[in-house]
Amino acid sequence: MSESTADFSTVGLLGLGTMGAGIAQVFAASGRSVVVLEASRERLDAGTASVAAFLDGGVARGKITEADRGAVLARITGTTAVRDLAGAEVVVESVTEDAEVKKALLAQVAAVIGESTPILTNTSALSVTDLAAGLPNPGRVAGLHFFNPAPLMRTVEVVRALQTDEALVERLVALVRTLGDKEPVVVKDRPGFLVNALLLPYLNDVIQEYDDGLATAEDIDVAIRLGLGYKSGPLELLDMIGLDVHLHATEAAYVATLDARYAPPPLLRQMVAAGRLGVKSGEGFRTGRHASDH
Amino acid sequence: MNNESKTVGVLGAGTMGSGIAAVMARAGHRTILYDIDEAGLDRGVGTVRGFFDKSVRLGKLDAAAGQAAKDALTGTTDLTDLAPCDVVVEAVFEDLALKKETFGRLDEIVSESALFHTNTSTLSVTGIASGSRRPERVVGTHYCNPAPLMKLVEVADGRHTAAWAHKATVEFLASVGKTSVVTKDRPGFIVNRFLIPWENSCIHALEAGLGTKESIDAAVLGALGHPMGPFRLLDIVGMDIHQQVATRLYEQLRDPRFFPPPMVARMVAAGDLGRKTGRGFYEYDDTRLFGS
Repeated sequence: MSESTADFSTVGLLGLGTMGAGIAQVFAASGRSVVVLEASRERLDAGTASVAAFLDGGVARGKITEADRGAVLARITGTTAVRDLAGAEVVVESVTEDAEVKKALLAQVAAVIGESTPILTNTSALSVTDLAAGLPNPGRVAGLHFFNPAPLMRTVEVVRALQTDEALVERLVALVRTLGDKEPVVVKDRPGFLVNALLLPYLNDVIQEYDDGLATAEDIDVAIRLGLGYKSGPLELLDMIGLDVHLHATEAAYVATLDARYAPPPLLRQMVAAGRLGVKSGEGFRTGRHASDH
Repeated sequence: MNNESKTVGVLGAGTMGSGIAAVMARAGHRTILYDIDEAGLDRGVGTVRGFFDKSVRLGKLDAAAGQAAKDALTGTTDLTDLAPCDVVVEAVFEDLALKKETFGRLDEIVSESALFHTNTSTLSVTGIASGSRRPERVVGTHYCNPAPLMKLVEVADGRHTAAWAHKATVEFLASVGKTSVVTKDRPGFIVNRFLIPWENSCIHALEAGLGTKESIDAAVLGALGHPMGPFRLLDIVGMDIHQQVATRLYEQLRDPRFFPPPMVARMVAAGDLGRKTGRGFYEYDDTRLFGS
């Protein structure tokens, strides 16, 4: 194990939802111990099961061995008690995208961990600077933004808040380089950081043009996949992201910037109102029985 | 129209015209490549023949098929040689008056039932079709570069395009191995409609200091599953081409997202057009775009 891998050998993770489960797996696969805090045993069990299922897929495809799978799972332990995070060398927050929820939880966690222990947030829609402002010693706070699915997507944004210590930014860049093939990108704390700042307007633009009848949903996706070589077309990508998740992210960016490119297109709101959230609800732009209506 | 061997005329022996001619000849259609300029025509025919030789070398085509494709292609600088064509595809310079005039002249030369395809990327299909006395037979067919390798063709009807012409076009494109998507006669069709604002927003992000060219390319590559980052792609497309396409779309749409950011004009002024000049966002030793 290289010297840098030893940095942050115990990770305290907050939240084992979709992103949290992926992040737990990434850290555990790098040889680190991960202690995950969740609200209930049921949520811990569900999150652990989804990590196990993801690893099963890796075993089935021959990407990892059965022994690797066991080792990764063995390094992840769950708890519902904040005090169990006391020994963490770094805390990574990945709970629901609600500023008040995050602030309240981080304050509790800050009370039990070391006063200079780094606190990282995986937020994609909130300001890291704002979250840092509520915590003691905000220079130890930064963003560490993974993309979904975290075990597969190589990019990790290292978000420098206004208060973040420069030395921490450098440590996080080195940390990301120890996570398999992950690629750190240092970004400013702006709405959407870098990738979503670019992606959200593009997806909104596609939704509006689709609503305006430019082409069928399928033809838009085919044109982008074949014409530009993207792995997914924009409308199937939206179905995978979840239309509610996209709406929340683009709304937050709009509120923070009043830039019309982030304003949610009316059809997006309607889809969410109708419960058509994409793959997870079985209905979306390219998913389910309504997919060909338009 | 059946899908047996047809006679296809391709007008304009530049990059797109040569590529489209290669598609037609490879599919077994008797293909006549036309250009006003003898030297340009020779270059275009040479490009297509070279493409088939390379396909044979790489094992993508067997030797007999390569020879047949080469034999299927002829070149001419005399427009009246296109008289026997069932389909003509125009890929001449992106100029509305020239494209209209070309279709007007072809009206006098080819049969009444021939299809007219325009490979315009930024002009209106309806506008181009107005140059023909029979605009109902004009269909927009926008190929991607390099045409022999990229499967996508965007199909856009003009206001007066007939249903029979649209249907025959989609069938014809399938017969030459293309996947068509149907879109509207709107500036940029689908791909450029979304690509141009995307590229512009990446350039804005670079100018605003959200990242470096390397970090933005890496972030997009690793987070979004694109085959290359926005600046590598711009270097291949060419800054002059990006500027031209973006400006033309902006002129029609008056939407600032299409307007090329000032950095584009600076790079063009400096001659940093991308890979073809050895320097764009990045520097290159090899200025060839798609191998030899």
